[in-house]
Amino acid sequence: MFDLSLLTSPLAIVIVVSLVVGMLMVVLFGYTSDQKAIGIAKDQLKAHLLAVRLYRDQIPVVMGSYGKILRGTGRYLKLAFKPLLYVIIPITLLMVQIDRYLGATPIPPGAPFLLTVHLAGASSGQAAGRDAPNDVTLDLPPEIAITAAPVHVPTENEIVWRLVGSKEGKYEVRIAAAGQSAAKAVCIGSDLPRISTVRWRGHFWERMFSSAEPALPENSPIESISINYPNRNIEIAGYGMNWIWLFFILSMIAGFIFKELLGIQI
Amino acid sequence: MKKLCGQQVASRDGRGRPSLHWCFFLLLAVVLFPTASHAYAGPGAGFAVLSSFWAIFVAFLYSFYALMTWPFRQLFRFIRRRNAYGKATFERAVILGFDGMDPELADRFMNEGRLPNLSKLRDKGTFSKLRTTFPAISPVAWSTFMTGVNPGKHNIYDFLARDTSNYLPFLSSAEIKGPKRHIKIGKYSIPFGKTEIKAMRKGTPFWHWLGNAGIFSSVIRVPVTFPPEKFQGVLLSGMCVPDLKGSQGTFCLCTTRASNDKFREGGVRVPIERKNGVCRSYIPGPDSPLAEKAGTELRVAFEIRPEPGSKSARIVVGSEKFTLKVGEYSEWVPAEFKAGMGFTAHGICRFYLKELSPEVEVYVTPVNIDPGHPDLPISHPVTYSIYLAKLFGPYATLGLAEDTWALNEHVLDDDAFLAQAYGNHEDRERMLFDALEKTKQGLCTCVFDTTDRVQHMFWRYLEEDHPAARDVPHSQHPKVIQDLYERMDRLIGRVMEKIDDDTLLMIISDHGFKSFARCMNVNAWLHQNGYLALKDGKTESGDWFEDVDWSRTRAYTMGLNGLYLNIKGREKQGIVDPAEADALKDELQKGLNGLIDPASGAVGITGVFIADNVYRGPYTENSPDLIVGYGAGYRASWDSVLGKVTGQVFEDNTKAWSGDHCIDPRLVPGVLFSSHKFIEEKPAIVDVAPTILKLFGLALPAHFDGKPWTLAAKAH
Repeated sequence: MFDLSLLTSPLAIVIVVSLVVGMLMVVLFGYTSDQKAIGIAKDQLKAHLLAVRLYRDQIPVVMGSYGKILRGTGRYLKLAFKPLLYVIIPITLLMVQIDRYLGATPIPPGAPFLLTVHLAGASSGQAAGRDAPNDVTLDLPPEIAITAAPVHVPTENEIVWRLVGSKEGKYEVRIAAAGQSAAKAVCIGSDLPRISTVRWRGHFWERMFSSAEPALPENSPIESISINYPNRNIEIAGYGMNWIWLFFILSMIAGFIFKELLGIQI
Repeated sequence: MKKLCGQQVASRDGRGRPSLHWCFFLLLAVVLFPTASHAYAGPGAGFAVLSSFWAIFVAFLYSFYALMTWPFRQLFRFIRRRNAYGKATFERAVILGFDGMDPELADRFMNEGRLPNLSKLRDKGTFSKLRTTFPAISPVAWSTFMTGVNPGKHNIYDFLARDTSNYLPFLSSAEIKGPKRHIKIGKYSIPFGKTEIKAMRKGTPFWHWLGNAGIFSSVIRVPVTFPPEKFQGVLLSGMCVPDLKGSQGTFCLCTTRASNDKFREGGVRVPIERKNGVCRSYIPGPDSPLAEKAGTELRVAFEIRPEPGSKSARIVVGSEKFTLKVGEYSEWVPAEFKAGMGFTAHGICRFYLKELSPEVEVYVTPVNIDPGHPDLPISHPVTYSIYLAKLFGPYATLGLAEDTWALNEHVLDDDAFLAQAYGNHEDRERMLFDALEKTKQGLCTCVFDTTDRVQHMFWRYLEEDHPAARDVPHSQHPKVIQDLYERMDRLIGRVMEKIDDDTLLMIISDHGFKSFARCMNVNAWLHQNGYLALKDGKTESGDWFEDVDWSRTRAYTMGLNGLYLNIKGREKQGIVDPAEADALKDELQKGLNGLIDPASGAVGITGVFIADNVYRGPYTENSPDLIVGYGAGYRASWDSVLGKVTGQVFEDNTKAWSGDHCIDPRLVPGVLFSSHKFIEEKPAIVDVAPTILKLFGLALPAHFDGKPWTLAAKAH
């Protein structure tokens, strides 16, 4: 009997996403690039490669061809630049979103995990400084408990709690510091929830690429709140790998297939 | 609420996962510093980066290999060849062949000041007539050029040779046979084994001797170099390379005009079906290699979509789409003929939109073998044709690439033919200059056909009263041939800029040119004089001696200059006793020599040559028995060439093909120009090979018929 749940497994999702992305990216590349010029540039590169072989006894020709290969490569990359810009933006955004689901696994119930609060520098908030730990409090839902005393790392301005969740679900922990309160989502369980490993104050680009939560208020004494979710490895033939590598390989294969089928020069 | 207590531990990064940051920077790196990145940005960036890296990587490996092994290879070459250039008079020899360049026309145009570069060569070096071969036909003469021997030793006497078992012709230069074994699977008959291509030209081209001595050669489009042979150098085959159908060039006229007429030669008519404003037709291709029944033609369909309100149409061939205006050629378009089961023949062709209203007509060139994906070897090494295709784009590979038949049949007009011919010529110029750049030492030779084709087709405009141009007043005749010579002169000038005094530049042609105003059917003369008999009740014969009674025929002609005796024991239905052959040859020689054209009083045949006196070597048995040397203005008639017997011996030639050289070889010598002066009174094309070998300091093979020329002096 076929297990339907396999269709929603991370591996299946990566395969489907890779195939679809591979095709879409090839099509997008085809529409946004000068296909004729790219074809010519690639052909010329191949010609210079062949020249190296055909005239291998003539060192000046070989060296000249090598120079032409370098120049041809530059020309080719220049032609690929514009379509790459079109391709990179959507694919990056897409990958960021996929990574929210496939990049990490939720914390298993009963497994300890670390919650790290990074406080702003001395000038930024009252909580900074020697007495900071005593000013920071943690408000936990009943399903999450502290398993060890918090650790203060003064050099990093960080406070680390070791916690454990007792029941599957998505919870919110609240951290209060200097009279202000901030929340952080925590996922306990085993399926494919949308996971945010960190919540940032400011840090637009980091937030863009590593957070799935809104920014902390600008005047918050907390710089970031993070949880050490375990990385998710996808098993293939007994070898675990990050989904991004699998996506890279599969989307390349899909791209190669679709570029041939669609007659698009890349 | 839980309070914290102070406990210090080592910090760890819990702020998100590093892989995505890395990913982003790689993406940026792909964009900003592409050569330094190799990771992923999906297929687009990945392919771009991988492709370019692959190119660099492979190039680096090759370069590294070449650099590392170069000293050893040089040492090996030195030991084996004892310093190839040690005794060479020149570092490099560049031989440009201009097929059919005529010494009288060249002289005339030089004297008119139209050919400054050839004039420089004449003044500084050599200008002379170059004696040609018997007969003065390109495959014969170029074979002699490259082998240094007479036709009796290289076995090429004409474009065509005759099969003594059935009196039918076959291509004299190469024989192509499909795989012998087939496996039948269902409706398919799958070929098992390789296509056999047998070279019929014998003898060794002189670049092989150079290669054996370690001297590199680049040889481009020299006739009768198909199939290409292995040697130290690169070679692109020329005249005699077939099209994808296996013919020497079959064009296609796709038309909505209903017609049952067939083209005499060289083309087929294909109907266009018009429906809802879209015209559909097809390009006929080779026979399917999988079909059980021979002659099952493969086709590539295409559509013509006329664009309303403009004299242009969108043409769709497979995945290729392009727009053509009336009177315009397309680029080379790939044509893939799929037979099924993965068998595909790869060709290229060009479209020429002739007409859109009221009828639709498209001319399609013969489907050339795709040089970037050659299904038959057309170069040595095979990668050379691919290299040229990658470097310059697709190019004509057909031996006779300029479609003279289409102009003869009025499918193309003068301008369309010239556009095609000069398009091909420009491709070959690019190949030549690339070869010059790559061959700084050794031999670089390239033959341009344009001179031959254009003179064949436009000689009519050189004369006041050529039968093929009587409808155009002489004052309106375009100066096509003059323009041709000026173009070639400019090309020579550009070549001269690329060479120094250590390079010998030779300009040669295989033969000259004369008018072809009158046709002569020697078969008709043989019939009228009792040497050739027709079947009872027949007064003429169809193609290939259809109505000839061989039991009463003593002599016949086919091809351009060959006259054959019907010898007992040699020809299948031979009747001439070999002991009587010499007498018959003498009789025919006397009868034909000096034959007068009654219409003009001019001599139609100025010489008939007995083969035994002209040829010597191991292949003389394949030669014609006599060579007919027509007078200036005359040539074998179109019918006579095809083995047809007509009622009239002489008739006007009204075809565009109005100049020729297949006449008395003494009347059509070629040209010899050189950058350095040779002391030779009567140079001949057979002397070129020994001269080049001598200039490179090599010993001459004993079987050579040519004699090396003496160089007057070298400037330094």
